[in-house]
Amino acid sequence: MSEVPEDIEETVVQRFKEELKDPVKLVFFTQEMECPFCAQTHKLLETVVKLSDKITFEVVNFAKDKEKAEQLGIEKIPALAILGKKDYGLRMFGIPSGYEFQTLIEGIVFASTGNSELSPKAEEALRKVATKPVKIQIFVIPTCPVCPVLGAMAFQFAIASSNISVDIVEIAEFPHLAIKYDVIGTPKAVLNEKVQFEGLVPPGQFLTYIQQAAQGSPTGISPTI
Amino acid sequence: MDVNHLTDKQPMYDIAIIGGGVTGLAAAMYAGRMKLNTVLIGYPPGGVIATTDWIENYPGFISLSGKELADKILAHAKEYEVDMVFDEATEITRDGRCFTVNTAFDEYRAKTVLFATGTRYRKLPVPGADTFEGKGVQFCGLCDGPMFQDKAVAVVGGGDSAAKEALILAQWARQIYVVIRGDQLKAEPVNLERVKKTEKITLVFNTNVTSIEGNPGIEKIVLDQPFEGKKELAVKGVFIAIGSLPLSQLAVRLGVKTNEKGEILINRQTETNIPGVFAAGDVTDTQFKQAITGVAEGVTAAYQAYRYLGGEFVCTCVDDDYLDCPAAPEDLRGRTE
Repeated sequence: MSEVPEDIEETVVQRFKEELKDPVKLVFFTQEMECPFCAQTHKLLETVVKLSDKITFEVVNFAKDKEKAEQLGIEKIPALAILGKKDYGLRMFGIPSGYEFQTLIEGIVFASTGNSELSPKAEEALRKVATKPVKIQIFVIPTCPVCPVLGAMAFQFAIASSNISVDIVEIAEFPHLAIKYDVIGTPKAVLNEKVQFEGLVPPGQFLTYIQQAAQGSPTGISPTI
Repeated sequence: MDVNHLTDKQPMYDIAIIGGGVTGLAAAMYAGRMKLNTVLIGYPPGGVIATTDWIENYPGFISLSGKELADKILAHAKEYEVDMVFDEATEITRDGRCFTVNTAFDEYRAKTVLFATGTRYRKLPVPGADTFEGKGVQFCGLCDGPMFQDKAVAVVGGGDSAAKEALILAQWARQIYVVIRGDQLKAEPVNLERVKKTEKITLVFNTNVTSIEGNPGIEKIVLDQPFEGKKELAVKGVFIAIGSLPLSQLAVRLGVKTNEKGEILINRQTETNIPGVFAAGDVTDTQFKQAITGVAEGVTAAYQAYRYLGGEFVCTCVDDDYLDCPAAPEDLRGRTE
């Protein structure tokens, strides 16, 4: 999908109108000779940007602007950094199509509001466990209907804690990462390269994994759905 | 994600709906309409049906995905004042006539509770199933099918879920073996026809999987009966579709009665043996478990909770001669522990 279906577009426009607060900047990394998914992602993002005047768009040449790529932690393309009033660490790699379009929309809304929507007690619990930087990679595919649930939850944690950053990775576009991280099912999360789990987990269990990652202790895989 | 903005001062809810699937969401919509102070606590939003690729038996929609259906009912519920907490309830206790629901972080008090907790996938009890879970033993073709592009896979199960899983996987896999314990695939006729027309799907009848083997990944399944002269099938993935187990543990700990399958016993009013505790959907002992029946039970439960709380529900039909809307809930309060 490189265009937004009309019925979905109307829903998104309305949601943006009701929920977007601060400006959001979508920084898209591609290259001059765009890869097939780079071109599709580019087209899709251009459409999304038009859905609200609070969204701006910047296209960065990944090959030429190494400094910008390094600054935003971009090491592969197509890549998207979703920036709000500040950089909350929300990144998407690969085309956010299919069900992942929902993750993109959630990311834009979270970046704009800066509100994690976690309860005060959940935020407090997160602060206690996310004592060190934790990079959460979530591997997804566009046909996975439950993947946006985990992606959005990770975004919530990133909004609530400056120690959390999130990479949503469309694994079909990065097969070498599927091999590296042994991704057979989605969603699969890898935290700080050491802690991993597969499937959906409720927020409390996700926090346990964040705590383990912050402490540097490895775990196995715990699928739940 | 919709997690309500909670304050330290918690309200006493009229009803706590446990479960975020279509049954719970529909109940929340009705409870909201009836102005019950409602909290829905459930994870994941949409429930298990969100992993279904297509639904063709929900009246009003010729065909839509499970996630679309769940999203539509969620959006409908949001039209009313309902607090939604997409987290897992970890404990429910009774304090006199009221109930306390705990999640990992928060606590909610309510006058009534509705269990719409649904089911989880049943696991295959054979060697290798645990070892390879998440590493080739999967439960969601829609989520994981693309990882098996041009590979041979097996689906274990003999019902409609197995048929649908095989059809989903046919989008990517080179070959799909459906290993069926009985002598027929008990799928909806329309899905059975689709399976028969899909050449890459092979049905293996009267056969059980006895183990899943390989190193480091899955290489084969071992069968208890030979198929085409061999007791092994070379596959890279095994999708399990052998039914589900009711998620009734919280209810049982509360004292709610279940049958031998662990399904919550309810009457036609969705009441359980505990006053103020209702149950609906796949977690109950109803025989026909569908999205539409769960939704119907969910809204029935919301209405019964309303009556239990003494609400004066004014039906639009109240003045009609042929239909009465009884206000007295006594006959429905008869069940006790």
